[in-house]
Amino acid sequence: MTNLLRSPVLWAALLLAAVAATLPWWLSGYVLGVLTVAYYFGVFSMAWDLLFGFAGEVNFGPTFLIGLGAYTAAILDAKWGPPIPVCIIAGGLVALIGGLLLALPALRLRGPYFGLVTLVAVLLLQNCIVIFAGVTGGEIGMTVPDVLSVRAEDNYWYALGFLIVCAIILFGLSRSAIGLILQASGQDAIGAQALGFNVTKHKLAAFCISAVFSGVAGAMLIFYQGTASVSTVVDLGVGVQIIIAAVLGGRRTILGAVLGSVFLIVAGEFLRPLGQINTFVVAAVALAVILFFPDGLLGNLLRVTARERE
Amino acid sequence: MVWLQILIDGFAISSLYALGAIGFTLIFGVSGVLNLAHGGVMLVAALMGWMLAGEARIGTYLGTLLGVLSGLACAYVTYLMVVRPIQRSAAIPREEKEIFVLTGTLLWGIMIQQGMAYLFTDNPVTMRPLIAGVISIAGVRTPLNEIMIAVICWVVIGMLWLFVNRTRAGKALLAASINPRGLTLLGFELSRVYLLAWTIYGVLAGVAGVLLASFLGVSSNNTGQLTASAFSIVVLGGLGSVSGSLMAAYVVGYLETITAYLIAPTLRPLPALLLLVLVVYVRPQGLLGRR
Amino acid sequence: MSGTDTPRLQVRGLTKRFGGLLAVKDIGFDIQAGEILGLIGPNGSGKSTVMKLIMGIERPNAGSVKLDGVEMAGWAPHKIARAGVGIVFQHSRPLHRQTVLEHIKLALLPDSLIKLFADPHVERRAREIAERVELGAVMHRHPSSLPFADLRRMEMAKAIARDPKVVLVDEPFAGLNAAESESFAALIRGFRAEGRAVLLVDHNVKSLAALVDRVLAMYLGEHVAEGTAEEVMQNETVRRVYIGGKIETRERPPDEARSKVSILEVQDLSVFYGKARALDKVSIHVREGEFVSVVGLNGAGKTTLFNAISGLLPYQGTIRFGRRDLKGMTGAAVARAGIVQCPETRELFGDMTVRENLDLGGYHLPSAARLPQLTWLFELFPILKSRQGQTARTLSGGEQQMLAIARALMMQPKLLILDEPTLGLAPVILEQLSKALERLQQTTPITVLLGEQNVTFALPHADRVYVLEHARIVWEGNPARFAKEMGRGYLEAEVVDGARVHPGCE
Repeated sequence: MTNLLRSPVLWAALLLAAVAATLPWWLSGYVLGVLTVAYYFGVFSMAWDLLFGFAGEVNFGPTFLIGLGAYTAAILDAKWGPPIPVCIIAGGLVALIGGLLLALPALRLRGPYFGLVTLVAVLLLQNCIVIFAGVTGGEIGMTVPDVLSVRAEDNYWYALGFLIVCAIILFGLSRSAIGLILQASGQDAIGAQALGFNVTKHKLAAFCISAVFSGVAGAMLIFYQGTASVSTVVDLGVGVQIIIAAVLGGRRTILGAVLGSVFLIVAGEFLRPLGQINTFVVAAVALAVILFFPDGLLGNLLRVTARERE
Repeated sequence: MVWLQILIDGFAISSLYALGAIGFTLIFGVSGVLNLAHGGVMLVAALMGWMLAGEARIGTYLGTLLGVLSGLACAYVTYLMVVRPIQRSAAIPREEKEIFVLTGTLLWGIMIQQGMAYLFTDNPVTMRPLIAGVISIAGVRTPLNEIMIAVICWVVIGMLWLFVNRTRAGKALLAASINPRGLTLLGFELSRVYLLAWTIYGVLAGVAGVLLASFLGVSSNNTGQLTASAFSIVVLGGLGSVSGSLMAAYVVGYLETITAYLIAPTLRPLPALLLLVLVVYVRPQGLLGRR
Repeated sequence: MSGTDTPRLQVRGLTKRFGGLLAVKDIGFDIQAGEILGLIGPNGSGKSTVMKLIMGIERPNAGSVKLDGVEMAGWAPHKIARAGVGIVFQHSRPLHRQTVLEHIKLALLPDSLIKLFADPHVERRAREIAERVELGAVMHRHPSSLPFADLRRMEMAKAIARDPKVVLVDEPFAGLNAAESESFAALIRGFRAEGRAVLLVDHNVKSLAALVDRVLAMYLGEHVAEGTAEEVMQNETVRRVYIGGKIETRERPPDEARSKVSILEVQDLSVFYGKARALDKVSIHVREGEFVSVVGLNGAGKTTLFNAISGLLPYQGTIRFGRRDLKGMTGAAVARAGIVQCPETRELFGDMTVRENLDLGGYHLPSAARLPQLTWLFELFPILKSRQGQTARTLSGGEQQMLAIARALMMQPKLLILDEPTLGLAPVILEQLSKALERLQQTTPITVLLGEQNVTFALPHADRVYVLEHARIVWEGNPARFAKEMGRGYLEAEVVDGARVHPGCE
């Protein structure tokens, strides 16, 4: 516990959170909107980092889990109109089931095979949504009758609050005893088993946690945007952006994923005037990161400070 | 009547899929790379072929040839600028190299898709047929172009077989897929063998791309689907097995054609995806898989 | 030793098959609490597989493994670990962002999904263990900053943390110098004193002799000998497996035509696998037309030496071929320059035919030379001619070895390196190989560098012999002197640390 409190990363994060909370008092509604989306993205990326960085499983289709959560909430709200929290919880549950379905082959497959399955899961979901267009609105998407709030500031604080809660839980997990076991399971499964850990059980747990956070965040996102569409929550490109955000920020740091997401979304906004080419630029930047800075921002920072300490 | 049409159309599209899938599996077998930019390479070949043949008015045949060469160029860029730098990067730990290559090719594929959409919009385009005209096969009117495409596919596949099994360079390529270390010990530079593999891949994907443009038409939106079809086929047939990919291509091609004709054209890509999921759950090494 | 009723660990009829290969055949032994058993065998003997079977990393096809009478065979590894079996791996993948102390704490954690924080005693216990394995000073450092010996200590610490009833240790002294080995041996003796049952797995008896109570020797998956260390070292079958039989030397006719030019000069060669030192300032030279044998037990570093010469690994030091410095050349370039290696693993193209394998060997020859070379090789190895169209995978072990050598010879090498060609082959095949090598020597000006554990095979052809032991050259001389000085003492000779015997060279 004391180790945790002494972590400089934690204090920096607290500082940033405090600053972020004050932003609505001096930024425009437009910028707040961009940051709101970035914060939800941050949760997506953190959930991904937990699965990859810690359990060692590469998920090329995080949008499968996010989409499940988002569309469940949206359809529930549109058809039967229960209160928003219920829809969100339902979204989380469905995403959890999806995560389990994804986990079962994962535990028997080697890396690239599993990566393919995750990709296919997204494509399948996309196709299903298009097929059942009557319920889901197909490729155009559907509108959601309720939203969290119409004021930009409220939405911003909802998103920030959600991000902070998720960050605390996920970061805390990563630094806890469970996180340590997860890391060991992901990096050296045989070694972890030799120490008496049921690796399968722990990886399954990691999947479930990642799925729940992804699904809930997805649901919250659509209640912010007021619409649910394939291109925002079930897209392969979006999934890749999530991965890039986590890699950019630094794999296995959890908090780095937030930095990466904010950077990516904000940069994407700056590039919006370029039109369609902005995805191209983002992908190009991401490729450059993979080639030249695979450890990411926070990853490099941590490595440097660790070396200095020794 | 419908069944005959399915038989013929299915054969043509399966042959096309086989060409693309064999290239995909060749690259995996020889250099261990799952190229997720596969759809992008085919797209480049298709769109460049279409543009040069139609818009630049240099004729269908020359346009097709240049389209194939564009595909080859794109394959080279994929290898030299994306795959090889990641494989050689000292900053990435060895266990994660595979994943990074996968992510890198995925990103590159997206870049191609977006770039092509920017240059050519995402409207579907169709290339003018290589051979005009229609013949009647037992009462089914089939475009000559379609038959031509199937023939070309098989000729290329046949040439590939001859190359691998009857030429010395081809045997070296085969050996690389069996035991790269053994080849190094015999004085072969693996980097050159890989370059050869990617060259062949570029040609195969390029031909598949332009033929697809000529047969069904392409749009930049298809990119993901093309890659997904290719790896569905390859996983079903068994990663690394060329004959497996061949058989699987026909299974998938016919499934898709049957779905398009008898159920709904929009559901065309679905069976391949479902089949892939089934295979991965039940028999991950596919029909004839080695690795 | 102790007179308890049930042995701590009881293994019976353990069998494991990998595809068509029978890796472990009907192995059985007991280890009492407070006893150290050494399991020895050359490469491919199945000893590592036995260890994995006990730990549950591999599932046995048949047999029983009982811990204090409880049957554990077929259990999942983590269950076996929790039941009281601990393992100290030779190489592990430490978590780079965690400190040594955190690694030890990990080993102390229960297998729980809900316990977020470790119990307070865990920290204290982890510190104690760190002190015990002499990591107290570095317990807050990260693994990447530690030397190899400390990483092994960390693995020991993790095993100790589990408080196991049975401890499996894989190659306890590999990569350690004499002082480090001694402190490790002390830790292992500590296990015995605490009443644990210890299984040490290693290549050779020599390194374990002082430590173990009993030894079990394995070869090709089977039980070959059991008893005290001395008994096993004297056992005829064991000696045959390791040395090969009676040591004979043949008088090599002095050949005026054989030049005295040195074609291979290796100076101060050092190789590291990660942190572990695999070769320690090794220097050898080979003259044109010579046949030089490097003898040494498995794990001594022969393969590492050859791989460095062949340009397949990074190294420190100099390797000169003719007048060329080989540093920086790719493996393929070294092969094309005239140094062709036939490795221990043979690296054949299993799915291709014998003829295709040979053709690939002759790929870089001018086309006019290919057929004559092939014909000559078929004369040297007639069996390959009759099996031309067969796939390499379906050949017997001996035939595969001949194919590997023939394929290497297709390249018309100036220097042929043979790494353990006799591994796993029957004596009859060894005869044929020996004859073929002799013909090779007599009819061509080829230079050969042979690495062998089987001294009987290595000696008759050799002009000179080096002995490689624990990453160092410890002896050099001609075969006659080897027979006199090393001889039966080969298995038992002591290594004086740091001393390299420099006999007068011829």
